[in-house]
Amino acid sequence: MLKLYHWEPNANSGKPMLALAEKGVAYESHYLDLLSFDQHQPEYLAVNPDGTIPALVHGDLVLTESTPIMEYVDEAFDGPPLKPTDPVERWRMRWWMRFFDAYFAPSMSMIGWAVFVGPVARQRDPEVLRAAIDRIPLESRKIAWRKALFNEFTPEELAESRRRVLFCTDVLEAHLAKHTWIAGKTFSLGDINGFNLGYALPLSQPDHCNDARTPHIMEWLRRIYERPATKATWALGRTPMVQRVAFLERGNTHLSAAAVQQSVLPGNSQGWKKP
Amino acid sequence: MIALCHWEPNGVFLKPLIALAEKGAPYTSHWFDPTAFEQFAPGFPANTESALQLEREGPLLVVGGEVLSSTSFQLEYLNEVVTGPDLFPASAHDRYRVRAWVQYLGLGLGPVVSALGCARFLRPVLAARESAALRAQLAAIEPLERRNAWLAVLDGAVDEAAWQQRLAVPVARLEKALTGADWLAGPAYSLADIDAYALVAPLRTLAPAVVNAVTTPHLAGWLARIDERPAVRAALALSRSGQPEAAWVPGTEPSRWG
Repeated sequence: MLKLYHWEPNANSGKPMLALAEKGVAYESHYLDLLSFDQHQPEYLAVNPDGTIPALVHGDLVLTESTPIMEYVDEAFDGPPLKPTDPVERWRMRWWMRFFDAYFAPSMSMIGWAVFVGPVARQRDPEVLRAAIDRIPLESRKIAWRKALFNEFTPEELAESRRRVLFCTDVLEAHLAKHTWIAGKTFSLGDINGFNLGYALPLSQPDHCNDARTPHIMEWLRRIYERPATKATWALGRTPMVQRVAFLERGNTHLSAAAVQQSVLPGNSQGWKKP
Repeated sequence: MIALCHWEPNGVFLKPLIALAEKGAPYTSHWFDPTAFEQFAPGFPANTESALQLEREGPLLVVGGEVLSSTSFQLEYLNEVVTGPDLFPASAHDRYRVRAWVQYLGLGLGPVVSALGCARFLRPVLAARESAALRAQLAAIEPLERRNAWLAVLDGAVDEAAWQQRLAVPVARLEKALTGADWLAGPAYSLADIDAYALVAPLRTLAPAVVNAVTTPHLAGWLARIDERPAVRAALALSRSGQPEAAWVPGTEPSRWG
C-alpha cells in the first residue's frame, strides 16, 4: 500500500498530494500536524529520520524530497502523464520547479512564518517550543524553526524576502503571458508545484497580485483550481489556511482580499488545532 | 546540432562536458571567459531563465534557439535527446535518487564549494584588477543577486572555517552512501555521479582536511573511479589554462534560512 505522510495541501506537502490526485492514484493518508511537531515524534522519525514532511512510502521504499517525489509518482504509476513529451518543455518544467523551490518559496515562507504561523505558534508555552526544537534532527532545520518560532528574522531579511516575492510575481506574470502553463503548452508537475506555492498569492499580496496587475497569474491559478484533482485535494485540508483557495472561485472577485483574509487568518488560534 | 557555451572544465562547467563526452556526442563548443564578463556582452545567448538561474554563472546549452541553463537539468535534457550510453537508471526509485541527490548537493554543497573556490582563486584575480572600470562592470550586472554574488567575492568577509564546517554534513552523507555502494544512485554510474563529481572533486584541493583517503575513504575511492573514466579525462583535457581547478566564478546562494 502506498502511504503519504503529509500536512495540509499546501507548499511541500501539497505537491505529492496533488500529483497523486492528478494521476488518480489512491494512497493511505497520514496527516501530521506540523505546528504540533508531529513530524519530530519518534513514530515519524522511524519513517523519516530527518523529520521533514512529506514522506512517501511505497513498499520498502521511503522518499522524502517533495519535488523528486512528484517525478517518481509520475514515472512509477499509471495515469495521465504529468510531464511534457517535449524535452525542452521538460527542461523548462524542471528549471521553474527549482526556481520555485529554492528562490521563491523560501522568501514566501519566511514572510508566512513571520506574520502568520509564528504568532500563532508562539501562543504555546515557550518551554514546550524549546523542547520541540531540541528534538529536531537536522541542524539546518533547527535553525530555521528557531528563527520562525521566536521571530528571529531581521528587518533586512524580511525586507529582502518581500522584495523577492514581488520580483518573482512579476517574473511569473511575464512567463505566463508567454506560456499557457509553466512548462509551455502542457500542464505538468511545474503547475502543481507552482500552485502549491502561489495559490494564496492574491490574498497575501493583494496590491501586487490581482486581476488588473497580474491577469495571467490569476487565470493560471483559476484554471488549476478548477481541476477536479485540485478540488479533491484541497478538500482534505483541516485548517482555515487552505480555505483561502476558495478565493479563486470565479465570481469571488467581488470579495475584497482583506475580507477573505480576515475570515481565515490569525486571531483565531482554534483554527490551528486538530479537528 | 547542440551548442555548448562553457569555460574551463571545473565546477558546474564540468558537468555537461563530461556528459557529452560520455555520450560521444558531437556538439559545437563556444568558449567564453566569465571573469571577463563575456556572458553579459550583447549577442551572448540569454533568456529569463539564464539571467535568473540559481547557479548564477554557468554553462548554457543552445538548441534550436532555446537557451537551457541550470546544469543538473541540462544533464537530464542531454540524456533524453542525445544518443549514446543511457546515463539515467532504469528504475523509478533510482531515478528519484538521482534527482534527490542533485537537488541536495546542488543546494547544500554547491554554495560552499563555489564560495571556497572564489575565495581562494577568484578574489585575488578581481583584487588585482580593482579599478573604476571593474566596479562599473560589476555595478551593471543584473539581476541584483547576480551582481551581489560578484561583489561578495571582492568585498565580502571570508570565513573559510565556517564554510569548511558546512561541508561536514553533506560529505558525511556522501561517505555513508558510498560505503558498500560503488555509485550514488543504483547499480551503475549515472548522472548523479557526474553531477556530484563536479562538486566534490574540487574539495580535494579546497578542503583536503575534509575529503581525503583517510577520513573519507569511500568518497575518495569513488572520486578515483570517476577520475579514470576516459570521458572525464577528455573533458578535463579541454582546459586552456592547464589549471582548471583554479577556475571559479560565483555560484549558488546559500540558504537564506541559515
